[in-house]
Amino acid sequence: MAIDQVHDLQQVYRKVLHSMSRPGTISSLADNAKKVDFNLSCFHATFLSAMTFLDAEVTFHILSTEQQSLIDKISAYTSSKYAPINEADFIIILQEDTEESIQHAFAECKNGTLIDPQHSSIWIIESSTLSNSGELTLTGPGIQHEARLHTSLSSSLWQARNERTKEYPLGIDLIITDENAQVVCIPRTTTVEITGVS
Amino acid sequence: MKTNTHFAFFDEGSKKEIRRAIMKAVAIPGYQVPFASREMPIARGWGTGGLQITLSIIGKSDVLKVIDQGADESVNAVSIKKLVHETTGVELTEQTNKASVIQSRHRIPEVALTEDQIIVLQVPMPEPLRKVEASEYMTKRMHAEDDYSGVWLMLFEQIMKYGKTATSADHPVYVNGRYVMAPSPIPRFDNSKLHQSEALILLGAGREKKIYAVPPYTNVESLAFEDYPFSVEVFEGKHCHLCGSTDVFLDELIDPETGETIHQCNDTSYCIEQLNKKAEAEVQTSYA
Ligand SMILES: [Zn+2]
Repeated sequence: MAIDQVHDLQQVYRKVLHSMSRPGTISSLADNAKKVDFNLSCFHATFLSAMTFLDAEVTFHILSTEQQSLIDKISAYTSSKYAPINEADFIIILQEDTEESIQHAFAECKNGTLIDPQHSSIWIIESSTLSNSGELTLTGPGIQHEARLHTSLSSSLWQARNERTKEYPLGIDLIITDENAQVVCIPRTTTVEITGVS
Repeated sequence: MKTNTHFAFFDEGSKKEIRRAIMKAVAIPGYQVPFASREMPIARGWGTGGLQITLSIIGKSDVLKVIDQGADESVNAVSIKKLVHETTGVELTEQTNKASVIQSRHRIPEVALTEDQIIVLQVPMPEPLRKVEASEYMTKRMHAEDDYSGVWLMLFEQIMKYGKTATSADHPVYVNGRYVMAPSPIPRFDNSKLHQSEALILLGAGREKKIYAVPPYTNVESLAFEDYPFSVEVFEGKHCHLCGSTDVFLDELIDPETGETIHQCNDTSYCIEQLNKKAEAEVQTSYA
């Protein structure tokens, strides 16, 4: 594998950190994604994000039941263990996953406790091409005035996400990836309003 | 010291753990995220929390500035710079606007920070409620229940006793209207720089094993009462004896020759920059 585990993953981390600090700001992982030199059944940005955050200390879950080879690959490269949806520290949602299964995941995943709000799941979730002209209006920490965002997640999925973050500091934090190696993040503090049609 | 061949001192597993803690800290502004603090080849209490953050985020193309109480050349700042430079080869700078990562103890630079910068503050005591409650179990519960009556009472008692809040530095702040946070021992003068900052602010406490953050464009309010509003150190009628600046945090010194009290910028790189600007302006007028 031509990904440099030290320097590429440091660069990916800083891009994702930049986007998590500034919800709605799209970052490109294209330079690092070019180095992924094997076939994957997920976006390069999804795999790079998993490589960046996962290791033997944390667990992950993949929704799809037909992704055993991806599960094996991620486990092999990161030493992270697969766990059920209600225990996983990271939840990976692929583009093929159904509306219904994602709704279920939103309802079942960890969103922390008042004593330990960090005991929550981080989602790495795939979307079609991300852009800043879109149906979502974002406000909250990290956003000076407001930000606009387009994703392919339906408005009912955004409602499900809002439902799991309304008892702040409980919540879930999203890393959204697309096929062009772009990422954008929506932490639990972001108010997501659905202002247009997706 | 045994030879260490890792980029940025840490193995990748250590970095990942700290990187995950930072992500949660950014997602829950002002909340102290526990992490497994590592042994560092510098003495504890000398900024190991900040150093662990810096080493976990830094990359080859970063430019690093380290300051201790406003000075780039203090022993502490120099030993941190040396460790980071020897293990990463990153470029070092004293100019605030040239740095992409700034690690600091007890000050936020006078030059406004930008969106492309991260400031890492070293924290000796991350728990703002510790003076009120000794038990970690209880302070965690107070944060969970949004119960800050103890810290308000402490400030009220100070006002009763001294006519003002007696916190000289590390005056507690409300972050995003939810968590009360220790801003690290920065002077009250610097508290306003936390509010709606353009730069990401990360705070690390090595001994207490906590990481917390203030994302950019986040509301940060210093705790105060309506009839006793928050006030900062004032330097009215005083100026830096070197560069003449007036609206900065000044240190008080005694002039060794005259025995008089004089003032000087605490932020030494800011002071040098002002002096350079002046020298440039003088050169230009003399050629005009
Ligand atoms: Zn000066």
